[in-house]
Amino acid sequence: MTVVLRVNRFAPRPARDRERSRKSSPFARKSSPFADARAARKPRGRSWVQEYEVQARGNDTLLDCLLAIKRDIDPTLAFRYSCGHGMCGSDAVAVNGTPMLLCKAKVRDCAHQPVAPIVDDAGFRRTSVDGEPSPVAETAKPVVELAPLPGFPVQRDLVADIDPMLEQIRRFKPYLQADGVLATTVDGKVDVFEYLQRPEQLARYERLSTCITCGVCEGACPVYAGGEAFIGPAALINQARFIDDSRDRARQERLEALDTADGFQACQSVRACSRECPVGIDVGEEIWQLIAQSKEQEA
Amino acid sequence: MSPNTIEEHYDAIIVGAGAAGLSAALAFTRSEAVDQARREGHDPRVLVVSKLQPLRSHTGSAEGGIAASLGNMEPDSWQWHYFDTVKGGDWLVDQDAARLLAQEAPATVINLERSGVAFSRTQDGLIAQRRFGGHTSDFGGEPVKRAAYAADRIGHQILHTLWQQCVGAGVHFAEEWYVTDLVLDDAKGRVEGVVAFDTHTGKVHALHAANVLLATGGAGRLFHTTSNSHDLTGDGMALALDAGLQLEDMEFVQFHPTGLAHTGILLSEASRAEGGILRNAQGEAFMQRYAPGHADLAARDVVSRAIRAEVDAGRGIADPKDPDGPKDCVWLDMTGIDPDHMRAVLPQVVETIEQYAGLDPSVDLVPVKPTAHYTMGGIPITVDGEVYRLDADGSRHVVEGLFAAGECSCVSVHGANRLGGNSLLDACLFGTRAGEGIALRFQDGPVDALEALDACPDDPELDQAATRRGTDVDALLAANAVEDIQGDENGSDNAYRVMRDLGATMDRGFAVLCDGASLGEARAALAGDLSDRVGALRAHSDERTFNQELTAIWEARHLVELADCVLSSALARHESRGSLYRTDFPARDDANFLAHTMMATDAAARWQPVRILDIEPGRRAY
Repeated sequence: MTVVLRVNRFAPRPARDRERSRKSSPFARKSSPFADARAARKPRGRSWVQEYEVQARGNDTLLDCLLAIKRDIDPTLAFRYSCGHGMCGSDAVAVNGTPMLLCKAKVRDCAHQPVAPIVDDAGFRRTSVDGEPSPVAETAKPVVELAPLPGFPVQRDLVADIDPMLEQIRRFKPYLQADGVLATTVDGKVDVFEYLQRPEQLARYERLSTCITCGVCEGACPVYAGGEAFIGPAALINQARFIDDSRDRARQERLEALDTADGFQACQSVRACSRECPVGIDVGEEIWQLIAQSKEQEA
Repeated sequence: MSPNTIEEHYDAIIVGAGAAGLSAALAFTRSEAVDQARREGHDPRVLVVSKLQPLRSHTGSAEGGIAASLGNMEPDSWQWHYFDTVKGGDWLVDQDAARLLAQEAPATVINLERSGVAFSRTQDGLIAQRRFGGHTSDFGGEPVKRAAYAADRIGHQILHTLWQQCVGAGVHFAEEWYVTDLVLDDAKGRVEGVVAFDTHTGKVHALHAANVLLATGGAGRLFHTTSNSHDLTGDGMALALDAGLQLEDMEFVQFHPTGLAHTGILLSEASRAEGGILRNAQGEAFMQRYAPGHADLAARDVVSRAIRAEVDAGRGIADPKDPDGPKDCVWLDMTGIDPDHMRAVLPQVVETIEQYAGLDPSVDLVPVKPTAHYTMGGIPITVDGEVYRLDADGSRHVVEGLFAAGECSCVSVHGANRLGGNSLLDACLFGTRAGEGIALRFQDGPVDALEALDACPDDPELDQAATRRGTDVDALLAANAVEDIQGDENGSDNAYRVMRDLGATMDRGFAVLCDGASLGEARAALAGDLSDRVGALRAHSDERTFNQELTAIWEARHLVELADCVLSSALARHESRGSLYRTDFPARDDANFLAHTMMATDAAARWQPVRILDIEPGRRAY
């Protein structure tokens, strides 16, 4: 079938132009006490929407389509991709407004018939007429809308700067802090063995350890993507992975470090983060469990 | 992310942030030598340069396990692992290296566990292990559970754990930087550094370094059907060739028997270890016929060729997604595995099948086809990770300060065919050893001390290379070239098309089976059409920042160069061994070819005898 990919493209203004304009303005970012974080994050450059028509099968992924575009139509279209099957976490973008991985999103599930908006006399857009589905433009081709991952500054086309997420993960000692005790053999010599961990202990955090830091949960979170001060679901999941690991000795400190205004206190329990996690982590529930554990600790 | 400051001179540049690169960075920072130098006031300047973002490296896709004779499930010994590795590699394995690999495997795995890897466990809490093809007890006896695993995502676990530990150790990264040049001094005896292109800013950097480690992974993208990520374009190997060095045993490429039909996506060997059976169009479990006793768990090349033989005999099946297409697949039957157990131990395999084939492996047969998986050959290194050149007199000549590790290197522990579970082990162990070697060299001459004495080498070649690369970038981006290319119907060629056509050429001429004629045809296509096209490539946009086409053009150049090395190495070897099967020379020929191919660009192959210590060449039968 023929599908139209409607891509929100962006080209950054060259750095030298940016520097020049900043220097020339007495109200440039740094000097203004009123410049808020969102204005600073707003990318400077040219935005436009470009439509590409491709032939695709329902089972094809959106990544398949974009690779075909790069090869056959427009090699300048920029998007990240690597393994192509959901392991590396490179290719999170907004598909019809919802963050997901390009390599897991199927044309069949994402292409929709464009709906002709019905506007009533008062100017309100109605979603349906007397319970009837909205009329679709019969002749129109199915469309998929693509935009960079929400919540992060765009760098070019579908490439977003996810460094803020990685910085947030880095902030909280994202590594195992075990006791480091070495086992000894029968005759008292030091012998290095693995830490013991029973299958049920592993089960407590195994799913959390499969996070691929793709940023889908962050882009879906209205608090995080909305620009509020929040360390974000990805950093919380990373910490939960260690908090629930029987080998880790820093559980208490980790919980305390997260119990701040921009930590899990900022979570509004919207749970949008859970819906599209490509590895099936119930992110919202896990954050809730963190809060519960923290409360338990206080009690 | 770019580093906050870019140093004039580095103690070490590590190229690649997968298992090998991160293991090296970690071993370096954890080493006694660095610790001592720090106490003496010398802070090491180390930068890990990666063309990807963190945690995207292909290590993360490894599924099945990492081999070590821990003996957690049943008796095992490193001697058996050593034997299996040598035999699995069809005796093209350097035994000093393989011996080390098997001996150090348990400590390597335990170190990973203690760093945080979430291994699957036995009821007693030990690291769990599973069977893997070619791993046996008693020197070729019964299959043994040797592959330590983490469900079927051991690579993900190792990659994330190593990165996490590197974060803890304060390792500096330059991410989405593409290394374009490896620069040696004029006499090719010492490394000067690398030239790297920052894809974010579009700037070319000359990174002077006392030590460089290449850990860029394999070159699966030489082929169209491959399990490898789009980034495995053999960059490190091509950099070595460009610098005038040799590559070793490049004709040995492993084709994993169970790629998911035409997608090439890997279905872990664990799917067969847990009871999956290959069947032909008639439903026959044919592996029993090709490898009695081992059947579906025979070595990978044996299984891949058996599949090809079934297909050639007309007993193949078409990919159900392309029912009218070629009957070049066979069935993987996993219906005998308990569905709950399957989901518990093979979650990734099940998900891949559901997601990309739309099938339920507990009731449906799954179409599979051999997929290019691993390059056994690579940059020749010593067991301490030092890159060397083989001189005409047969002696090894180490390039001072240049190291390599992981899939881009060849130490040769895999010989002509790698056993499952040995790749992560190779990357982690030899990455660690290289990191330790670099630490010792750092202790001997930290660059901050040399700088203070104004004793850093000038490295004129490096600065020249950076200037040349800047000119290259300008030419690729030149606005008039962009207009030409867009205005001209024939000029609309691009790197992505070149790479697709190269992959098809290599699939046809080299994959699984080949002969002199097929290799020759592929080589002619390379020398003619593909080389011309790759030379004419220009970017379709003159933007410097985040211009992915620039990187793709360099990758296409690297692949074309490397493809020629692979083909000429295969043409030079008049025998069949391990993964290389030449139908015109179907037998192994120890009298003439018990030797490694050392191939440089535009030079005849040199042959380096295999190092044999304990295990005399025997028949490799399963």
